[in-house]
Amino acid sequence: MKETELHHDKDIREDLAWSQINSDIMKSLENPRRGFWYTVIGCLVLLAIGITAEVLQYMYGMGRSKNHPHMWNLYIATFIFWIGMSHSGTLLSAILHIVHADWRKPIYRFAEAMTTFSLMTALLFPVIHLGRLWNFYWVIPYVPARGTWPNFRSPLSWDGFAIMTYLTSSALFLYIGMLPDLAIARDNTTGWRKKLYSTLSLGWYGSDRQWRIFRKAYMLMAIFLIPLAVSVHSIVSSDFAMSIMPGWHVTTFPPYFVSGALYSGCAAIVTLFILLRYYFRWEEYMTLAILEKICKLTFAIAMVWTYLNLVEFASVWYGHDIYGKEVLWAKMTGAYAPVFWSMMFFGSVLPFTLAFRKLRRHIPTMMTVSILLNVGMWLERWMIISPTLSQSFYPWSWDVMWPTLTSWGIVLGSFGWFGLLFLTFVKIFPSVSMYEVKEMVYHRRLASEKAQAERRNTGGAQPAFSLSMRKEDGS
Amino acid sequence: MMNLKLKRREFLQLMGWSTAGATLAGCDLPTTVTLEEGKEEVVAYLSPEEYVIPGVGVWYASTCLQCAAGCGIHGRVREGRALKLEGNPDSPVNRGKLCQMGQSGVQTHYNPDRLSKPQLRKDGKLVDISWDEAWKVLDEKVGAAAKTSGARVAWFTGTVSGHQAALIGEHLDALGSRHHFVHEVINNAVGRAVNQDVLGEAMPRLALDQAKLVLSFGADFLGTWVSPTHFATEYAKFRSGTRGVLVVAEPKMSLTGANADLWLAVRPGTEGMLALGIAHALMQSGVSVPDAARPAVAAYAPVKAAEITGISAQRIEQVAALLKQHSPSLVLAGATVEGQEQGYQAASAVMLLNVMLGNVGQTIVSSGEFPFPQLRPRTGNTRDLVAFAAAAKDKALDVAFFYGTNPVYTAPASLGLAEGLQNIPFKVVLTQFPDETAAQADLVLPVASSLEDWGTHVAAYQPEQGVITFQQPLMEGLYPGTPGVGDALLKLLKMREAQKYGAFNDYFSYLQNAVASLPEQYKASGLTNKQLWEQTLQKGLLTVDSAPGSLKTNVGEITLHEVKADAEYPLHLIPSPRLGLWDGRHANIPWLQEAPDQISKVVWDSWAELHPSTAARLGVREGDVVEITSAHGAIKVKVYVFKGVHPDAIAVPLGQGHEGYGRYANGIGANPLKILSPAIEARTGELALYGTRVKATRTGVHEELVKEGRNNISQRSRKLVVTISAEQFRRTEGV
Amino acid sequence: MSLENLTQDWSRYRNGIEEGGFHNYEHRWGMAIDLNACIGCNACSTACYAENNLAVVGKERFSKGHYMHWMRIERYWDEDQAKAEFPDQGANFLPMLCQQCGAAPCEPVCPVAATYHTPDGLNAQVYNRCIGSRYCSNNCPYRVRYFNFWSYPESAWPAPLNLQLNPDITVRDKGVMEKCTFCVQRIRVAKDTAKMENRKIKDGEFTTACAQACPTSAIHFGDLMDAESAVTKLWAKHQVKRHDDEGLPVSTQHKQNPALRGYRVLEELNTDPSVMYLERVREELA
Repeated sequence: MKETELHHDKDIREDLAWSQINSDIMKSLENPRRGFWYTVIGCLVLLAIGITAEVLQYMYGMGRSKNHPHMWNLYIATFIFWIGMSHSGTLLSAILHIVHADWRKPIYRFAEAMTTFSLMTALLFPVIHLGRLWNFYWVIPYVPARGTWPNFRSPLSWDGFAIMTYLTSSALFLYIGMLPDLAIARDNTTGWRKKLYSTLSLGWYGSDRQWRIFRKAYMLMAIFLIPLAVSVHSIVSSDFAMSIMPGWHVTTFPPYFVSGALYSGCAAIVTLFILLRYYFRWEEYMTLAILEKICKLTFAIAMVWTYLNLVEFASVWYGHDIYGKEVLWAKMTGAYAPVFWSMMFFGSVLPFTLAFRKLRRHIPTMMTVSILLNVGMWLERWMIISPTLSQSFYPWSWDVMWPTLTSWGIVLGSFGWFGLLFLTFVKIFPSVSMYEVKEMVYHRRLASEKAQAERRNTGGAQPAFSLSMRKEDGS
Repeated sequence: MMNLKLKRREFLQLMGWSTAGATLAGCDLPTTVTLEEGKEEVVAYLSPEEYVIPGVGVWYASTCLQCAAGCGIHGRVREGRALKLEGNPDSPVNRGKLCQMGQSGVQTHYNPDRLSKPQLRKDGKLVDISWDEAWKVLDEKVGAAAKTSGARVAWFTGTVSGHQAALIGEHLDALGSRHHFVHEVINNAVGRAVNQDVLGEAMPRLALDQAKLVLSFGADFLGTWVSPTHFATEYAKFRSGTRGVLVVAEPKMSLTGANADLWLAVRPGTEGMLALGIAHALMQSGVSVPDAARPAVAAYAPVKAAEITGISAQRIEQVAALLKQHSPSLVLAGATVEGQEQGYQAASAVMLLNVMLGNVGQTIVSSGEFPFPQLRPRTGNTRDLVAFAAAAKDKALDVAFFYGTNPVYTAPASLGLAEGLQNIPFKVVLTQFPDETAAQADLVLPVASSLEDWGTHVAAYQPEQGVITFQQPLMEGLYPGTPGVGDALLKLLKMREAQKYGAFNDYFSYLQNAVASLPEQYKASGLTNKQLWEQTLQKGLLTVDSAPGSLKTNVGEITLHEVKADAEYPLHLIPSPRLGLWDGRHANIPWLQEAPDQISKVVWDSWAELHPSTAARLGVREGDVVEITSAHGAIKVKVYVFKGVHPDAIAVPLGQGHEGYGRYANGIGANPLKILSPAIEARTGELALYGTRVKATRTGVHEELVKEGRNNISQRSRKLVVTISAEQFRRTEGV
Repeated sequence: MSLENLTQDWSRYRNGIEEGGFHNYEHRWGMAIDLNACIGCNACSTACYAENNLAVVGKERFSKGHYMHWMRIERYWDEDQAKAEFPDQGANFLPMLCQQCGAAPCEPVCPVAATYHTPDGLNAQVYNRCIGSRYCSNNCPYRVRYFNFWSYPESAWPAPLNLQLNPDITVRDKGVMEKCTFCVQRIRVAKDTAKMENRKIKDGEFTTACAQACPTSAIHFGDLMDAESAVTKLWAKHQVKRHDDEGLPVSTQHKQNPALRGYRVLEELNTDPSVMYLERVREELA
């Protein structure tokens, strides 16, 4: 492939052969770059740190990571962060699917995987955070022998339901969407992989009937998932909004949390997009045009998030609730001010880099920016929790606390855990949807043929409809 | 521990016993398996002691020995363990209440650092020995001294009273010695001297509840002065109804100062001048002044007093007006007044106010003569510490017994006590804990805790009728063989006068005998001796007849000199006592270490209170370590910036800086007593504890000062503590 | 566990929720704390340590806020004195303990219902049920819930200090939230005794450790359902009302005489505390 060809402006080239798609994508199951393995080792190290920290915390007590009055701290912040990350997969997959946005096709698979794995990561945190984590199952409404139910009034128990539902549904969504590809994998592999894919592909052989049912099921799941995703983060936000604490008891928290979730999810997709593109040499599929589209979407969500932030500040400021106002003021000027302003910078200022085409197409910049955006979103979660706890109704217990090494260790470990899950996934399953990419190529081909025909008919006039609005050399 | 390798037959036997035990337990029959036969009982409490019901607490009356105030306590005992102490409602001292030090009595008792075996110095080191050996050594050494130089034997104790004090006296008498040194850091010896000279009674009764206004010059009667729990109960009465006014003048805010309606930061050492200034203002408003004091009062017009004390003339006149308006009042002088080189004169100036205002006879009344002189308290002071240190230095002593005090910790380094002790060939320390003094001893005798011991006590301050409070064991000794103090004394006496004391098996029988031999008037309505004994124990106290006399008002001449500034050492060191760690004796109680200081809220540490202006001048903030240097040494303490201290003063609380007082006390903070100057109060010979000048320098080290409530300045406009005016209070709730 | 049991449990649970907790209290234990009498001496706090097996955590852990002051004495300085050279009117002491709120914010948020309202009007904490999510502490406006960040039994009570432990109540291990119980063990003994003797509990028959120790008797404890109890009379005298006196919801106190001293801390949050404070009094001296 010539260098120039990579910089075309199309979402995908319409002349890709289907066999080439199959082999390009299936290659990811075999021979990634060395960078991939370095990443795996990095994740293992992080996970080891996390496990060590957790073992210490389990053996000696929560005091290794928690302090009064900061009963919640990094763990819950990181929990919300991971829940937020999970929203992008659903957004890209489900919403873009039902609005027939074709450009989602090469990237939705890994985004959905990300959803599932970040949920699996997020689920760890409420458990790690428990003082007596060996009793975590008491939150589950299993049939209790002594009539001791969990407290259904507690937002924490709602969390359990919401997340479990979401996890099940998104895993199912991921799996259903993967069926035709699993069949392709089955037909192109040998050994244990063949056995695995044979089982998982559920006897898919691509009949019309199978395709019809498949389309319906997939659409149904997509429609079901969208309100679910919104509700999950709304419920997570009610952990705070349902409390009476100043800075938490905020009506706009559900949309604020959802927008923050989509924001961090989109930014994470950019990061993973770039990584996968690099590891598996998928420049042909994960094109700059698609990257640009995600970046634009991220930018739009960033602005929504910024707006909701301002709404929250304004309502606190003009609400004249002294407690809330004090917390806000402390956020801006107190001990956590550097963190708060970093969050504002990363969350509201930095996304303006996404507004420039040149920067959007510059891969190293986008890699850095997307990671920093997520740092900002992680800081946001922390800034929701800590300032309120450090300064609430009761001045006697006001105290500023910084997280301990143990909590940092566990937070790092969660990134290792997520990374490991994700990297394992991309080695076992095709992380780009082959059949949908083929569909996409087919759509493009049809469109270009139609355009050529029209050009012939009208004698070289401009096409009435073109997918790529901008002309560029080598396209 | 039960041997777990049971054979089947043994197992069945055991099963049989437990069944039998379960049956027997109900009908209170003696079991055949007893401790005497060398076997454990199968079921605990198979044949329980009287009143021991598993699961039910029983309360016994006793006396609290955590300080010398003599509060009555009730101890809850369950399954043979003392669990909780409460105030004895029958005690006129504390009326069922108990301060935090009293509450902590159980932790003194169960302290993990308690000594369980006697120790003898062999080859320079203290080694554990048996009790038999300990008594033998004691007999030999004291016997040898008795033969040659009985007069060179000394007892060095804290405040003691009752039969223990009597036995100490008799022990010394038996040896022909007169050396009973009684030492307390927290004392009111100078005040007692003034009381004796002016009123004719060392410790008259103070009717706080009758006073409409209390003006305290550093007398922390709610915290550390004389009988804090008693005064706190009286304070509640004082503050209810018409609600008395509390004015406190002191260089460092005490707990009493923190409760004042008006707190005056008086320049250290000038309290006497302030009192004279107030007297002057009173004189101007027509209150008559005793002739002897007239020149002194005339010399301190409010304007002049204001200049010296730092309290504005308006304030002085205001206080005088308040005193006139709220009559009767009560004016008290505390340690900051007395602990100066001219402490006696200053305290006299304070007493003058009482005389001028006619409080004597109204709020200061006679407590009468305690009828049993041998039981009267030997109240502690620092004069004896100085005398003892001198005697030790002069090699005037051969044998010294120490009990209830820790002079190596409390003595200022400048007295050279630790070195002086080297000159005493045989030092016996009776103590519960290894402490700094015990570390210097030749023989350490562990004694029973106050909850394991018998005793009688007479408080120095008797709030109502005179009482002898009784101390009885709440439980068996934790460490078998450890004698009570009384038992140890009896044993010592038997070594000397076997005939006289041979009749008493133990201190218990000695006390029983003492109660039996009370004068007839105590055996009302035909009580037998046994009944009287039991009734006394049950109540925890015995009321005695002490007919009140009348107080005099002999005000003498008062001469006060101006306090000179010291360029090299500009600050006055205030070694402030804390309700809690007291003089350091409670530093080994974890509850009290973890209980925040009432004012600064600091825990587990020492700190130096500095006024913000002083701190700014030194360039330090909270947590900075400063070195406090006097002419006699230096300590390093963290700074606590606080407005409740005079800018010329630096206050370091007592109690920390232990080196050998167990796991909870060692290595924490610093001991301000160490750097005190050996200056002496001119009249009484007491140490001028508050007379040391120091300078503070930054060290550049910063450590976090651990305290509760980090943002503890204000309530941030929340309605947490709401304050209304006393005017309003009197309108709605006044009587 | 049969299906019948399951449905019964469920409907009992549902009904409990719909009724909004207890309204017909057997007792409602309450307090009145007189800040005119409180001298801030700490006796109550230490008495609480002795009675309730509170762990001593040590300096290091104290600095991280791990301490267990179920009853703590807060000390504030006057706000208008902030610029003065000296604190002329002394300190503001406030004994703060669990307020045993009638509408407790901590109760609904516990995911496992380890904290709940008893028919005694107490805000109970079931240590065995607690899984340590610490949500209750986050939602407590008074910050009076204390968490066992570590396992203290060995560090806080080295032998023979452990012999002092009160056998009437448990020693909490790591991972459990704890707080003031109004000395529930004493309440239990009094209730059982009264039941055995077939009588009602007499006012003043027992009291909490803090009230018993308080040298100035600033703390009054009793049953707010007993019209004759000293505490009820104090509440009535100062015209402070509980929510269920008026039927829910009552926002703030309905005093006819605003000069009376009774108030409840952070009352505007509508938590209906069972502890009434009486205002601190100071002479107005210019």
